[in-house]
Amino acid sequence: MSIPTIPNSNKPNVHHEHIHSKIDLSHRPEASYETVSDSMIKIYVWELPVRIFHWVNALAILLLMVTGIYIGNPFVSASVQEDAYYSMLMGWVRYIHFFSAFVFIANLIFRWYWVFKGNKYATSNPLKRGFWSETFETVKFYALMKNKKPHYVGHNPLAQLAYWIFIGLGSIVLIITGLFLYVEPQPESLFGSAFIWTSLLFGGDSFTVRSLHHLVAWGIMVFIVIHVYLSFREDWLEKNGTMSSIVTGFKTESKHVIEDQHDEEK
Amino acid sequence: MKQEKTILQEVLDRGFSRRDFLKMCTALAATLGLDYSQTNKVVNAMETKKRVPVIWLQMQDCTGCSESFIRSSQPKTESVLLEMISLEYSEVLSAPSGHYAEKSIKDVMEKYKGEYIVVVEGSIPSNDIYLMIAGKSARKELEHVCENAAAVLAYGSCSSWGGVAAAKPNPTGAVPVTDIIKNKPVIVVPGCPPIAEVMTGVIAHYVTFGVLPELDHLGRPKAFYRHRIHDKCNRRAYFDAGLFVENFDDEGSKQGYCLYKVGCKGPTTYNSCAEMRWNGGVSYPIQSGNPCIGCSEKDFWDNGPFFTRVAKIPGTQTTINPDVVGAAVVGATIAGVAAHGALTALDKKKKESKDK
Repeated sequence: MSIPTIPNSNKPNVHHEHIHSKIDLSHRPEASYETVSDSMIKIYVWELPVRIFHWVNALAILLLMVTGIYIGNPFVSASVQEDAYYSMLMGWVRYIHFFSAFVFIANLIFRWYWVFKGNKYATSNPLKRGFWSETFETVKFYALMKNKKPHYVGHNPLAQLAYWIFIGLGSIVLIITGLFLYVEPQPESLFGSAFIWTSLLFGGDSFTVRSLHHLVAWGIMVFIVIHVYLSFREDWLEKNGTMSSIVTGFKTESKHVIEDQHDEEK
Repeated sequence: MKQEKTILQEVLDRGFSRRDFLKMCTALAATLGLDYSQTNKVVNAMETKKRVPVIWLQMQDCTGCSESFIRSSQPKTESVLLEMISLEYSEVLSAPSGHYAEKSIKDVMEKYKGEYIVVVEGSIPSNDIYLMIAGKSARKELEHVCENAAAVLAYGSCSSWGGVAAAKPNPTGAVPVTDIIKNKPVIVVPGCPPIAEVMTGVIAHYVTFGVLPELDHLGRPKAFYRHRIHDKCNRRAYFDAGLFVENFDDEGSKQGYCLYKVGCKGPTTYNSCAEMRWNGGVSYPIQSGNPCIGCSEKDFWDNGPFFTRVAKIPGTQTTINPDVVGAAVVGATIAGVAAHGALTALDKKKKESKDK
């Protein structure tokens, strides 16, 4: 089996200088940076709100998934036969699930605000010129094929697409189905009437809504596996501090990325 | 004509006292979910209202809904049948047959134009050859009889959602009443069968107030379908405590623990079983130790197996165990990612050696 080659991709920080992304987000604030050597800069890619969102989201998803699996299939229960009033295991697990869910929702709403407020790496626009052709180049890049993928300081278009589908659409489906399940016992309360109609979006019956909630949750798990792998892979191939950037906010990049910025300003 | 008498007169004619009549009205008000102070409304209606003519059609059904109906205890079936409604046509209960039975449908449709109620039991096949009644296709018969109706009651899961006949692969192309009757109010009363008191209660509500009961977003009367079985379940405390029956022969089963893990569909099923119970309030499946099979929910035959917790792939009639399939897909993703990592390493090494 022959492995296709990517020209220059093994040399850290000096590659791809001829290929510039055509996706124009110059109307959004640029990230600040400081020069660390003749050829290298430290660029502040992930602002503090983005990092806070990321880790709150990660923690909420972890709690939601563990408690969610228990709620769907209670795998532990009291080994000694007892009456119902000594324990409240399912009750507490559900409580944690609901609490995490509201944190998850509030966090996501906050992130949507930051999509419009943050720097150019906090946003994405699939309608921009070059988005889909560069997505295709990125697919070829991940398929280890010859490609014209530019180097991205932020997310590549394929990653952006994955966020749209899983973190965007997937979260919204999970939130809507979850809130439906949450208000089912009180359909006529104020909060209940705000969400009980949403089952009609999915055919109207409770079982379909519940099933969708389970299946999309597992979709998020698939996303997490790929997301973590590709982040490590990026860090390993580019040697630009991708992994530490989600803690510190900084990536170490070639000066060329700033030259790109000046090009765009001209 | 008998129908011209008020319900009160009917009751008195049958030898009951007015006191009995008031008792009946009070019990009826309670069944309808009305406040005690509303009892006089019921009394007033029963004193002034005349019996409502009813045509009961049976399509692709098993007569189970009729069987359930005749076991109502409050209001009693006989009081519904003899005092509140005038059942003009029913394939199970009517005395006339053949041409006489057909004639009684015709008479009602002419004489009580816009006043009578049509009860439908069973689903309607899209392909006419699967059900013909008196030489007419089920669909045409239904459309014809409903033409002059005041309202249509879909009794049972078959007429409400398609039921067993519409289960995969639905050979007859069975559809619910709501797919055919679009220009009349249709009250959906699902269940396989529905609880007798719910069936008679819906009729009693219409007779009492002359208007349809308040319906939910799927057309079910809110009075009987506003809660899930799970929310009113007598075993709910065991659910919250995390105490579950694992097998039908274990200690938890004897203790009356929650049936969630043996496939109870109570959390996704809207019905009154847990409050009204069956056979005059004696018991209901969960109380008797059997998980709810969700018989009043859409496509419940395809939401099985009955004794396993599953999830349905939306848009299909296929159910899977979401955790097993989910974990398998995540496992496959991890394997794929590992393989991709190995290929990436090889690729990197190859290029590095090339550059040297």
